[in-house]
Amino acid sequence: MRELTFTAAAREALAEEMAQNPAIFVVGQGIGKRGGNFNTTTGLYDLYGQERLADVPISERGFVGMCAGAAMTGTRPVVDFMFLDFILDGFGELVNQVAKMQYMSSGRLKMPLLLRGCIGVGGSSATHHSGNYYPIFAHLPGFRVALPTNPYDAKGLLKTALRTDDPVLFLEHKSLLNTKGPVPEEEYTIPFGQAAVVRQGTAVTVVAFALMVRKTLEACEQLEKEGISVELIDPRTVAPLDVDTILESVRKTGRLLVVDETFGPCGMGSEVAAQIMEKGFDELDAPVRRVYGAHTPIPYSAPLEQAAVPQVPQIAQAIRDLVAE
Amino acid sequence: MNAPNKEVLLSLYRQMLVIRRCEEQLARSYQAGLIPGACHTYVGEEAIATGVCAHLRHEDAVFSTHRGHGHALAKGVPPRQVVAELYGKVTGCSQGRGGSMHLFSPEVGMMGTSGIVGPCILQAAGAGYSFKLLKTDNIGVAFFGDGAVNNGAFHEGLNLATIFNLPVLFVCENNQYATEVPFTYSSKNSEVANRAASYNLPGVAVDGNEVLAVYRVAGEAIERARKGGGPTLIECRTYRTRAHAEGMREAGYRSIEEIESWKARDPIPAFRKQLLARGYRAGELDRIDEEVKAQIQEAVEFAEQSPWPDPSTLMDHIYSHSGA
Amino acid sequence: MAVEIVLPRLGWTMEEGTLVEWLKQDGDPVKPGEIIFTVESDKALNEIESFDEGVLRIPADSPPPGTTVPVGTLLAYILAPGEAMPTGRTTTAVATTAAAPTAAAAVAVSSRRSGPPISPRARRLAKQLGVDWSQLKGSGLSGRIAERDIQAAARAPRVSPVARRLAQEAGVDLSTLAAQKPGARLSRQDVEAALAAPPAAGESAPLSSLRRIIAQRMGQSSRETASVTLFTEADATELVALRQRFKEALGPRQQWVPTYNDLFLKLTALSLAEHPALNASWGEGAIQMHRQIDLGVAVDTEAGLVVPVLRQVDRLSLQDLAEQSAALAENARTRRLKPDQLQGATFTVTNLGMYNIDAFTPIIDLPQCAILGLGRIALRPAVHQGQVVPRHQVVLSLSFDHRVVDGGPAARFLDTVRQYTEQPHLWLGR
Repeated sequence: MRELTFTAAAREALAEEMAQNPAIFVVGQGIGKRGGNFNTTTGLYDLYGQERLADVPISERGFVGMCAGAAMTGTRPVVDFMFLDFILDGFGELVNQVAKMQYMSSGRLKMPLLLRGCIGVGGSSATHHSGNYYPIFAHLPGFRVALPTNPYDAKGLLKTALRTDDPVLFLEHKSLLNTKGPVPEEEYTIPFGQAAVVRQGTAVTVVAFALMVRKTLEACEQLEKEGISVELIDPRTVAPLDVDTILESVRKTGRLLVVDETFGPCGMGSEVAAQIMEKGFDELDAPVRRVYGAHTPIPYSAPLEQAAVPQVPQIAQAIRDLVAE
Repeated sequence: MNAPNKEVLLSLYRQMLVIRRCEEQLARSYQAGLIPGACHTYVGEEAIATGVCAHLRHEDAVFSTHRGHGHALAKGVPPRQVVAELYGKVTGCSQGRGGSMHLFSPEVGMMGTSGIVGPCILQAAGAGYSFKLLKTDNIGVAFFGDGAVNNGAFHEGLNLATIFNLPVLFVCENNQYATEVPFTYSSKNSEVANRAASYNLPGVAVDGNEVLAVYRVAGEAIERARKGGGPTLIECRTYRTRAHAEGMREAGYRSIEEIESWKARDPIPAFRKQLLARGYRAGELDRIDEEVKAQIQEAVEFAEQSPWPDPSTLMDHIYSHSGA
Repeated sequence: MAVEIVLPRLGWTMEEGTLVEWLKQDGDPVKPGEIIFTVESDKALNEIESFDEGVLRIPADSPPPGTTVPVGTLLAYILAPGEAMPTGRTTTAVATTAAAPTAAAAVAVSSRRSGPPISPRARRLAKQLGVDWSQLKGSGLSGRIAERDIQAAARAPRVSPVARRLAQEAGVDLSTLAAQKPGARLSRQDVEAALAAPPAAGESAPLSSLRRIIAQRMGQSSRETASVTLFTEADATELVALRQRFKEALGPRQQWVPTYNDLFLKLTALSLAEHPALNASWGEGAIQMHRQIDLGVAVDTEAGLVVPVLRQVDRLSLQDLAEQSAALAENARTRRLKPDQLQGATFTVTNLGMYNIDAFTPIIDLPQCAILGLGRIALRPAVHQGQVVPRHQVVLSLSFDHRVVDGGPAARFLDTVRQYTEQPHLWLGR
């Protein structure tokens, strides 16, 4: 099977959908002729022109609000933030308008709005270009949040995002953009709310998000040699979150570790732990444990940046500790 | 643009009366404790909603603000649906989920009143973008107050509308107070229409209590937009003779004399006078009065008799597939 | 109201004991008379009753079951419902963790849990498999009992905590024992029996605690007493006839038929009443004359020699004596004796007659000053009224401690015993 980079796979999804649906248009900075800072729209401007690949001035509230209005009136906008951090200037529009529009209108207005951007810590991007924030969006009713971790998932999830009538945050970890993986030629989509069991195991269940999936896989290779069999689950979407797959795994292993780059308080680990505690209390052989990023703005210098987020040795040790508990 | 004919004139008159009688009724109901939450009435500003919406189709998208009953009614939401909504009944235009500040009726192009100042400007621009992309000649219209024009949304929205040449009408209802803060306090530029020049788009100021003036100015701007001529900013100078919201004080931040002077410029008696001068019979106008009165009466009865929403529907419509 | 539950003094010389197991759990209601825990001391397992009514509360730093602690060590409280556990009294047990200043508050919060921490999954599995986890320890770093611990326990033999500790001390392999008794819960008796079983040739057997105690006492007695043994032969024909008549009369009426041992106990007690010098104990610088005649009765059990005590035998009717001695013997064999039933004898009687022993030199049970050994009652040729006829004869062997009593008094005592043996009518009415 052919191998594509994460970026190429996502772009292929966008290209295929734009070809099929003339109502899809993209706004952002540099997504027109330039093809996107992260090559998200390379080649599309030549196909569809300025009306569908529209560079916009730096005014996030403005173009998020504008795209909300467009989504309500028959088109399907894609807002390409480049760095997701910039979405925060449009937070009011997102929370009060975008997330609530379907509800307020009793379902008579749809909100087929796609919001995409790069997330995550790496490359010393420092505190204004390293945000994740997805637990916040997962917390609010009205949003769908997709977190693909490989090219196959990127394409499948982006296609689904461009066919759903809900507002979707499509978040791409910047350290995954150049990773490669198999992508079929045939058309496929991946539904939201369906986790992937990336690795089967018996001793402990690990749930990881975004880049942490790859880091955990690295840890698993070492742990296999030590005789620790890890079952690794990638939820792929945090809203909706596939708790059933996690629960089924915990029934098997009795132990659960959640690994996430975002902050501890009110984070993904808290949510998964609470749900598994509620639904699978008697399955647990040990408390649910979490590995999460340090509760701090992300620093610039490499040693500080590395210390701020979970690394492979830390993840491996957390798994060992949980098994030994 | 043609001068309005009899049908148009009488419908303008009727529409203003519908808004007036409905708002008076809502004020009464509010005082009777039948309306919870907030209620921002449009009394004195009827000419603006009426004059603008008279040109609009159902497919045109209107985005309004917290003082939006007039826009909802002028856009075609039946009074019974507005009253029932404020009463919290399931037969309201938002099925009881929205109340005064979240009136929705996409079927007639009423894309929502809003509890937040500013987003309507952006969303109207977005509607303009859609209509342009979809190659229709529908337009987006935003109604907002003087309190919105210093907001980032005003700046960003007008800028986006002008660089993309979008078919949008930005209607500022300058009633000179944002809650209790005079416009002259919040802005060194005491005008609104002249801001359009910064965006290189046309800006027009008009007497907002003169329905025919609003009708003419709006008509020109709308026609221009439909023909691909881009956005227009219209500043309607007007006044609300009641408090910012029902239950709040009417004066204190403004003088009784000021209020009285604007009451004397009430758009409805003024228009009636004009119609009589044009030769329309009083009897005909009175009949319209009576019909509107009855219509509002029926709306109130309808609202009172309507059922409440079922709590089991609480979680419906958060997502496009409920429960997903 | 808080009533302190401490390790009780169960015997005169008891200084320490082992808390074996809680029969009521932390938080359980308790009524007076209900057994709340068991204690092991010397040779017996003791059930301890509550004197009070209330709620049992076991502090977190209470000595865990299996620890040996001094008499008086605080184990628990009985509280009124809703009453808080008192603070400030720390336990003095041998194997407890130090109580931090905030431990009392922590105890009040955490004491909802009774027993060791256990994961929900393990708890559920234990219920399914019928495993009692209250004495288990978690194998993981957290100390929490986990699924794997329940699985291991289910595979492991079921053993009472006492037996487990005993086996551990004595080096008995529980899994071998369990194989002999599949599905059964191994008790202390099982372990003791295994220990008492003679070792195979060429092997050595570790000492049981009972053996240790016997060895210590016998050795001490041999070393310290100036032991002299007197022998005399008594004509027991009358006694035999008497017993036969008891058997014929009482047996069909389902009443207790006195054994020979019972008859000898009674006549010995009455002999002692006439010779109080033999009913005395050697003490530090003094000889203690006893007011009561409490006879120790040697019983041979599977695990070893045990000597329960019958009180005031001189005052007991033969009926009562027969009943009591039968009960004591049974309890001795099943190791259910209480410590006070093993202490305080003033004189001991030991009978090897059933093994066809005629005479022997019994060892004095300190601090008593004498012990009577009974041989077998056998038909032997004897001179009776000038004729040589077969008569039932029995040899009486009396060992006495010459430090306490001299030969003369001892001999006179033994002669009385002989007389009472030969002529039961002399004492039957008493």
